[in-house]
Amino acid sequence: MAGTTLPLEMAVYGAMTGYYSSVLFSNSAPVTDTGDNLAALMQRSLSGDTQAYAVLLKETARLLRPFLAKRLFAGSEVDDVLQEILLSIHKARHTYDGERPYKPWAYAIAKFRLQDHLRAHYADHLHDAEDISGLEEILPDDVTETGFSYESISVEVEKLPEKQATILRLMHQDGYTSKEIAEKMGMNESAVKVAAHRAYKVLRKQLERS
Amino acid sequence: MTNIDELVATLAKDATAVKPAPHPFVLSLQWIGAAAAYLAISLTFSGLRPDLLERFHSFWFGAEIFTLLGIFLVSSLSAALLAFPDLHQKRLLAFAPILPFTLFLAIILFSWRADNPPAPLPVHSFECTLSIMLMTLLPAVWTFYSMRKYASTHYRLAGSVALLSAFSVGALWLRLHEVNDSIAHVIEWHYLPMLAIGLIGLWLGRVVLKW
Repeated sequence: MAGTTLPLEMAVYGAMTGYYSSVLFSNSAPVTDTGDNLAALMQRSLSGDTQAYAVLLKETARLLRPFLAKRLFAGSEVDDVLQEILLSIHKARHTYDGERPYKPWAYAIAKFRLQDHLRAHYADHLHDAEDISGLEEILPDDVTETGFSYESISVEVEKLPEKQATILRLMHQDGYTSKEIAEKMGMNESAVKVAAHRAYKVLRKQLERS
Repeated sequence: MTNIDELVATLAKDATAVKPAPHPFVLSLQWIGAAAAYLAISLTFSGLRPDLLERFHSFWFGAEIFTLLGIFLVSSLSAALLAFPDLHQKRLLAFAPILPFTLFLAIILFSWRADNPPAPLPVHSFECTLSIMLMTLLPAVWTFYSMRKYASTHYRLAGSVALLSAFSVGALWLRLHEVNDSIAHVIEWHYLPMLAIGLIGLWLGRVVLKW
């Protein structure tokens, strides 16, 4: 068995790097595209083939990452949601029978978990009940009141994800408005405000700790 | 090794052989069979209305029962499809209950218009709703219990459709059992509560079917 699993993984990986290439599984019929490959991998996984399952999950993660990256702001969020999705796929794998295409099934779960995440995210924002624009006005005051300037916290700012750090730098060092930053970075204004708000929360925690 | 790689390794290590869920058609047939048996047993104990055959000579009564039966069958099928994350890739069928519900609404409206002069109202009122609800309990419990084993990504809708399917069993039972020709009463105390049941189902779906 150990002798056959490695070639299987190599064969599947080799085939999956290019769409519409053909792959011959060690003990099954040839399949002709990536969708078929995934369905076949899932069928093997359901019968307890752990190697096939590992390949399937890796390929699913590779497939879903760009889908999530398009819809989520921070890279860390993409990873978090991707993990949630993989866990959900694992939990719901008995609802896939291998007879229908795999991708719509996986995407249905991905969309579901993404919506869950976004719902929780926006609920959290509402729960904060602080107007973001209000925060923008209040927070710099707090920072100066406690003896902080942008320069004094710039080290902490640089530790933030790149996009958030850039937004804060433009906002507080270069004096751009959120609208101008949005135009400059090709984002919409509310996304800039949300990113700034998140960055403020992280900074606040870091400053409180120190 | 990234978090994703670690997770994949852990999940793959835990993966054992899994028996795939039955096809939703099979699943809905199981539910329909169980509900039909339950309805038959209930009617055996409670008894059919004595004028049932005579009532079937009325076109609108026959159409009402027929569409109610349609709601029961189609919503059972829809609930089974909605229990799967991708609706088993039969989206149109999953939303099919819209058709029998629309037909049912039209038939009820025509029955109401045809009820001229209006049949006398029975002396009871909310007891009918209560009886239907009690009758609904068992099919609702087993449908929800069964649906929890799957992975609905439309849990609110799934809950609503499942509860409507169960409610239609109760509604069918009462229409076949109770001697009552007042369509006004039937609309008010048999079918209008269906709207409330649909809404309760949305909430129940979120509570019971969320995973």
